[in-house]
Amino acid sequence: MASSTTEIPKETIGEGGDESDKKEEKNDSMFECNICLDTAKDAVVSLCGHLFCWPCLHQWLETRPNRQVCPVCKSAISKEKVVPLYGRGSKKTEDPRETVPPRPAGQRTEPEPGSSFPGFGFGDNGFHMSFGIGAFPFGFFASSFNIGDARPSPAPPGTQQHSEERILSHIFLWLAISFIFWLLIA
Amino acid sequence: MAQNVNPFLEQQSSSNKQSDDSRKLQNDNHAVTKRLHKELMNLMMSQDKSISAFPEGENLFKWIGTISGPKDTVYEALKFKLSFLFPHSYPYTAPTVKFITPCFHPNVDTNGNICLDILKDKWSALYDVRTILLSIQGLLAEPNNDSPLNSLAAEKWTDQDAFKKLVLEIYKE
Repeated sequence: MASSTTEIPKETIGEGGDESDKKEEKNDSMFECNICLDTAKDAVVSLCGHLFCWPCLHQWLETRPNRQVCPVCKSAISKEKVVPLYGRGSKKTEDPRETVPPRPAGQRTEPEPGSSFPGFGFGDNGFHMSFGIGAFPFGFFASSFNIGDARPSPAPPGTQQHSEERILSHIFLWLAISFIFWLLIA
Repeated sequence: MAQNVNPFLEQQSSSNKQSDDSRKLQNDNHAVTKRLHKELMNLMMSQDKSISAFPEGENLFKWIGTISGPKDTVYEALKFKLSFLFPHSYPYTAPTVKFITPCFHPNVDTNGNICLDILKDKWSALYDVRTILLSIQGLLAEPNNDSPLNSLAAEKWTDQDAFKKLVLEIYKE
């Protein structure tokens, strides 16, 4: 039905304008948001490859929370599965549309750690070992022994998870300090 | 941390909420008119003679569209006018589209209401006036007789000659 009626590219119709003009127009239309039909701002791309402004796509997902599909190809999409596009030299100072949450952050996975493990000269991959005082029933300083499984990378700064992790780490730091203090005076 | 939030700031923001809302509506309206302008430009640039649409008067949220009946169908050589009413939430919700010209068709009722999935639950923000007009043109050629709004038309569809008579009878330019 409607899906078979794709947009006729402007440049095949428009008369006039020199070649560079046409070229520019073509390039622009390739980066148009599928919802507002304007050049995509705060661009995100769905896993099915369709480009949107993040505010536009967010509003589309908000209007139908229980049936979140790509407006173009109707494949299932979700907030977690869109990829933000960062052009070169993009300014961070654009107005944050108050009611629209920021774009989901790009998911960055650390490359596999190299063969040299800092602190240990062992060279075998992912060998973690830590020692501590274990005083039953207080497991604050438990020895741990992990082989093979890499630690999850810390959350990117600015996200909620990041701030939560910081709060947690502060709490544990104070707990540890007060515990040592208690050990000293006891 | 939550307890470090300035309570005054919170109060202020809640009292500002109302004006925020109205400003948001204004912003949205601006986005809607911008998109409708773009659609109008695209339609005027397109060379498709079988469909056209233009805003009715000053109001950009009300359009009148025209489609010609598809070739090799009972609607051939007929022209149908349709009204478009765009909500402020367009394109996130579909416009209300109705036939102005009386149209004898299984999926069009006597008031001009159209039963078309893309105008209801299958709506997508990608669709625009042009695709709606093309879809309705397609609907004229291929009615969905399983869920008719006009059961008489659905019955008569099999007899194309009799159907065409009824179409012409009801059709007034």
